[in-house]
Amino acid sequence: MAEDPQRNFRSAYYEKVGFRGVEEKKSLEILLKDNPLDLEKLSTFSQRFPLPSMYRLHVWKVLLGILPPHCDSHCLVTRYRAEQYEDVRDALTAMRFAGGATPTTDLHLRMFQLENRQLRRRRELTAEDVDEDFLAISRSMEEIVDDPVDCYWLVKCFVSQFHNKFGDSIPHLPKSLEHFLSQEDPRLLAQLRASGCLAALPYSVWFKRCFAGCLPETSLQRIWDKVISGSCKILVFVAMEILLSYKIKLMGMKPEGAADFLSNIPQDNTDAMVTKAIDLWHKHCGTPMHSV
Amino acid sequence: MVVVANWVLCLFFVMNLYSNPIAERGSVLLNGLVDYFLETNSAQALHILSSVREPHDKHLLDKMNECMSKPGCRLPTLTLLGHVVRKQPSWIHKMARYPLLVSLLKCLKTDTDVVVLITGVLVLISLLPMIPQAGKQHLYEFFDIFGRLASWNMKNPGHVSEVYLIHLHASVYSLFHRLYGMYPCNFVSYLRSHYSMKENMETFEEVVKPMLEHVRIHPELVTGTKDHELDPTRWKRFEIHDIVIECAKVSLDPKEASCEEGYATMPEHFCAQLHLRPPDSAASPYTDLHSSYGLYSSCEYNSTCGMKDPLWSPSSLCGMATPPSSRGMSPNPELSQSASHLQNRLQNTPVGGKGTPSSSTPAASSPPPSLSDEFPPISLSQTASPPCKVTYSSSYNSRSVNFTENVDIILYCSSHACFMDSLLSAAITEELQKLTAEQRDQVALCEFDSPFYRTTETLTGAQDQKPFLSQDPCHPHEAVSTPERVEWCGGGSTRCGYSRGLSQEQPWSFQPVFTPIETPGGGSHIPPFQQSPVAPDDEAVKLGLLSPSPCQPPHLPYEALFDLALPRAATLFISKKTSELEVEEREVEGVSVSASPLEVLDQLVQQGSDVHDKLLKRLPLPSKSADWTHFGGSAPLDELQTLRSQLFLLQSQLLFERHKREQHAVRNRRLLRRIINATALEEQNNAMKDQLNLLNVEMLSLRESLVVEQQRSRQLWDDRETLVTRLHSQVRQLQQGRDDYYTKNQELQGKLQECQKRMGEMEAELQKANSKVCHTGHLLNQLTVKLSSSENTQQQMSFLHRQLLLLGEAHRLCMQELQHTGPESGKELEMLRVSSRRESERLKQSLLSQAQKLEVAQQRVAELEAQLSKKEHLIAEQKKFLEDVKLQAKGELSACESRYQAQRRITQALQSELLQLYAHMSVPDGPAQPASREGLDPTPSHSPPNGNASTLSPGQPKGKPSSSCPSSKANSINGSGDGSLPPDTNPTCPALTVGSYPSARSFLGMRARELFRNKSESQCNEFEEDRCASPTPRLTSLSQTLKNELCLEPASRVGGVKPAPTSGPATPPPPPPPPPPPPTPPPSSGTSTPPPPAQVSALLSPAKEAQASTKQRVSTRETPVRGTGGGHKKVPATQVPPRQQQLRIMDYNEAQAES
Repeated sequence: MAEDPQRNFRSAYYEKVGFRGVEEKKSLEILLKDNPLDLEKLSTFSQRFPLPSMYRLHVWKVLLGILPPHCDSHCLVTRYRAEQYEDVRDALTAMRFAGGATPTTDLHLRMFQLENRQLRRRRELTAEDVDEDFLAISRSMEEIVDDPVDCYWLVKCFVSQFHNKFGDSIPHLPKSLEHFLSQEDPRLLAQLRASGCLAALPYSVWFKRCFAGCLPETSLQRIWDKVISGSCKILVFVAMEILLSYKIKLMGMKPEGAADFLSNIPQDNTDAMVTKAIDLWHKHCGTPMHSV
Repeated sequence: MVVVANWVLCLFFVMNLYSNPIAERGSVLLNGLVDYFLETNSAQALHILSSVREPHDKHLLDKMNECMSKPGCRLPTLTLLGHVVRKQPSWIHKMARYPLLVSLLKCLKTDTDVVVLITGVLVLISLLPMIPQAGKQHLYEFFDIFGRLASWNMKNPGHVSEVYLIHLHASVYSLFHRLYGMYPCNFVSYLRSHYSMKENMETFEEVVKPMLEHVRIHPELVTGTKDHELDPTRWKRFEIHDIVIECAKVSLDPKEASCEEGYATMPEHFCAQLHLRPPDSAASPYTDLHSSYGLYSSCEYNSTCGMKDPLWSPSSLCGMATPPSSRGMSPNPELSQSASHLQNRLQNTPVGGKGTPSSSTPAASSPPPSLSDEFPPISLSQTASPPCKVTYSSSYNSRSVNFTENVDIILYCSSHACFMDSLLSAAITEELQKLTAEQRDQVALCEFDSPFYRTTETLTGAQDQKPFLSQDPCHPHEAVSTPERVEWCGGGSTRCGYSRGLSQEQPWSFQPVFTPIETPGGGSHIPPFQQSPVAPDDEAVKLGLLSPSPCQPPHLPYEALFDLALPRAATLFISKKTSELEVEEREVEGVSVSASPLEVLDQLVQQGSDVHDKLLKRLPLPSKSADWTHFGGSAPLDELQTLRSQLFLLQSQLLFERHKREQHAVRNRRLLRRIINATALEEQNNAMKDQLNLLNVEMLSLRESLVVEQQRSRQLWDDRETLVTRLHSQVRQLQQGRDDYYTKNQELQGKLQECQKRMGEMEAELQKANSKVCHTGHLLNQLTVKLSSSENTQQQMSFLHRQLLLLGEAHRLCMQELQHTGPESGKELEMLRVSSRRESERLKQSLLSQAQKLEVAQQRVAELEAQLSKKEHLIAEQKKFLEDVKLQAKGELSACESRYQAQRRITQALQSELLQLYAHMSVPDGPAQPASREGLDPTPSHSPPNGNASTLSPGQPKGKPSSSCPSSKANSINGSGDGSLPPDTNPTCPALTVGSYPSARSFLGMRARELFRNKSESQCNEFEEDRCASPTPRLTSLSQTLKNELCLEPASRVGGVKPAPTSGPATPPPPPPPPPPPPTPPPSSGTSTPPPPAQVSALLSPAKEAQASTKQRVSTRETPVRGTGGGHKKVPATQVPPRQQQLRIMDYNEAQAES
């Protein structure tokens, strides 16, 4: 990439001086110009740098397989996706699972369930069928994406990819959180352990929903960038950074209070927290390099 | 009671003084104690005051200074001061700074009381050596005091009695000595200035001049100056006793002078002369005093008793008789001197005409020998001890008798005791002797002396009945012999109060005798000795009984060794030490034993005065007056006063002298230590000398042995020399022999070398000859070879020569023959030559043409190869593109797939919904059906398609092959006899799966056409049309399009024969199966080349192409038939490839042919 004549020769120094993301957009554009898109390069890029918001959805779609790597077939595939969405929605409407008043998230949930053959008959619908994790992710995604078709597809693919890829590693994330916390701040860990807060941490919100509903969407996007590009470790570091940021408050809290507080984190400083978390993640797991 | 109270008070003071040293309190207590002492004259208070410690001295001195200002207290204060000074406390040097000294001096300058003056002067004299540096300030005050007191004698301003004047004179004499001894220059200059005045001349003549006769010239007068004298550094190296001795050294008076080294002889002579002379009042103030006192006392006694011989004077006797104690310690010459003194004294007394009984005692004749006996070694004195003991006890007994019997005598005795100088003990013995002697007189005398006698009788009445007293007479007075006295002398000199012999022998032996003496006196008068008269008696008896038994001090076995090892002084020292030790022991044993004779004397004086006071008080006035008048004396009170003060004076003088003696003793001890050190060193020296002798002897013996050894070594040396010479000669001989041999050897060796050299030469010659032989041999060989070759050549030459001859002959013959033949053969030859030339040209041309052909062919080959590579490149590109497209298609397909899946889900959901609805509709049918349907809910999809096959898209069955079993189930369930359908679907299935390839192939073909568009536009258009046609069915369903494409493919190849694309799904199935086989082989063979050649051929040569295509089609037509017939499609597939390869080869051939 450095040899690319189109790139600015100063680009190598921007990062040293502290300007991040100056050259990323350009390099991303270069990446996106390739006709069969190189998924590996794209995911590496996404792990290394924050995605520019204008390309974010496109990259997500490509990475999640909603769009094929070939740009020529994008139109076609997009149409297919839209038609599929329409079909499923119509079917649901026909089956009266959804009406005009049904919220999009519920509709999406039903659609997801239908496509995964998890949809029961309407009469047999129970509260258990309502997947809160999906709904939370769907809600957050709705905020991020305007188009309902895209939204549905992103949610669907995100959720299924997340479960397929990281379904096995999610139960181990609390352990690894403890491990990294012991490296960063053993005192806090000891305190949390002593006070019993450690067991009461909202792991489901953090790790099953990928912080959906916990952090504002602007911050969430950046975390999901990393998750979509193939790393669930970032969730651990975000959680750790949350703990470190509210260390003083947490020290004096009881487990129930801590759980409540962590489920409803103040939304003011999350960007900085996410930045720090990404730094921490880079620090502990190393900066992902191109595996060319 | 009072005494007890005093005791308590004293204890209280002591406790406070030692345990609570707060300054203020201490001062108050001290003041009280001083007051108490001034009032009561208590001995305990005195003791406490004189041992006051450092921080309290100021208060004491201040208090004393205060008391000094009161005239009434002066005398006791001075006494106290005297005691304190004599005690020599550590702080005494501070005296010079206190106002007490000033007030003392002032008192001495102004006071008129003689007693006070004398006491003061004595205090001053003893104080002076302690504060020598203080003289600087007060020097002229001292001198003034001296001047004043010296002139007192003459002027007698207070009109005091003569007796006091004598005392005063004595003290002035002492002061003179002290001042002269300490500050000679200043003092002499003072005397010079003071007595140069007219009015003082008389005093000088009378008083000072005789004193000057008793001093030597002080060395300081020669060497020192006035200032140097007062230099404090001068006094720093002196101790107090040093100063005293320094003062005594310059004195010529035997009483005052010390008999130390250097000065010893002269004073002795002087002394002897002095004593040989009849007693002279001017000779010495002491003798003067003594004599005067003696006179006085005798007078007094005469006056009081009237019975005494006036000429007999014990004091003069004592004064002359007693040798100085220091002399007692000195070695033999002095001893003899003292002995002579004693003799003198003894002789003197008879000469004086005093028929005292003491002199007439039988023992009195024996002193000289006994005196000499005193000093021999101690071992001797042991033998004399038994009598000693007896005498001692007897003397004491007698004294006790005296003491108890007559107070007067006690007084007298005590006054004598006080009067005794440093020769105290001797004086005591003397006195005791006298007393014992007198006793008999006095006993008789006392019968007349009624009041005293009576009183003593009353006092000692009880004691008279004691067995001891009754025993007393048993001791013969003759026992009071000189040995005893001598023993006393020794005891006095050692300051322990007991004779060496006695103490060594049996310290306890006299105790039983001694205690009874003490107890009566103490029991009646002295508080410390308050004991019941009976108890001591018992004790005494007990002790007496015990006394012979064990308590003997151990006889030290090494004492004899000491005697041998050490000189006399050392033995003396040892004896002194031992006696001291024993005294200590005795002191430990009990209070009654502890009292030394000196203390006894002090007590005696005290008691005497007390008794005197009491008696005086008890005496009724009339009788007193009568008595005194009866004795013919002056007024009794006056007299008593005088006596008392005299007693006091004597006591103070005694104390002064005792102090002086102590100083001497201190010095003696030091000297003794030096002596011991010296003797030790001497011993060491002797030992060293012995060692030296021993070493000398050893050296001598060593020297002798050295000589012997030298001789032996010399002999050995000689032997060796001879041996060496012999050996040398032998060696020389041998050397000569060796030399001979050596020369011979050398000669032989020379010869040998010569021979060797010759040998070498000969060898060289030999070698040379050998080489020559070899060379010649070699040459010979060469020559033989050459010879043979030359022979050979000669033969050849001859042969050739012959040949030559023959040839020449033949040549000659030929020439002849040639000349005979003609020119006809030339034409033919010419023709031949032309023909051959033409032939060659032709050949050349053909060669050229062939070369050209070859070149062309090569060019063609290159061209073809380039084409080939291009095509290969193209193929690779196409392959890549194919992959790309495949991927793209896969993406799209996956999208489709997902869509399809979604559709399926939808249909499933809808079906389930539908079924539910049906279930609702046919409620009466029974719940079994819905239940069964619900049970099959996850896989319900197969029955509906069967039922609604017409409504659904034709491609729908595509999904069926994967689930054939469920379909059968569905059949069984639904019961709708569609048994023909499953077989139908089965054949379609492979066609569809494989069908994807043709479609891809079509794309490939499209691409290929694009590439070769320039060559055939028309074909391209056709394909374009095909392409446009194909998308339309694509919309209907994927499978349809695929089928269409499959159908189109062969048609396009054939070149325009188009089967209807939308001929319907039902009809085409039979035809489509055939086309797949041809495409299948290419993937299996690995290349996709077959189609392009076909197309190329079709484009390039339609005619041939037509043939080929017909052939191909025939084959293709044939294969499906066979395939359908046999039911196997693989067979044609395997058969096809060889033909296609043939085709390809044909293509190439054609292409070549064309080019």
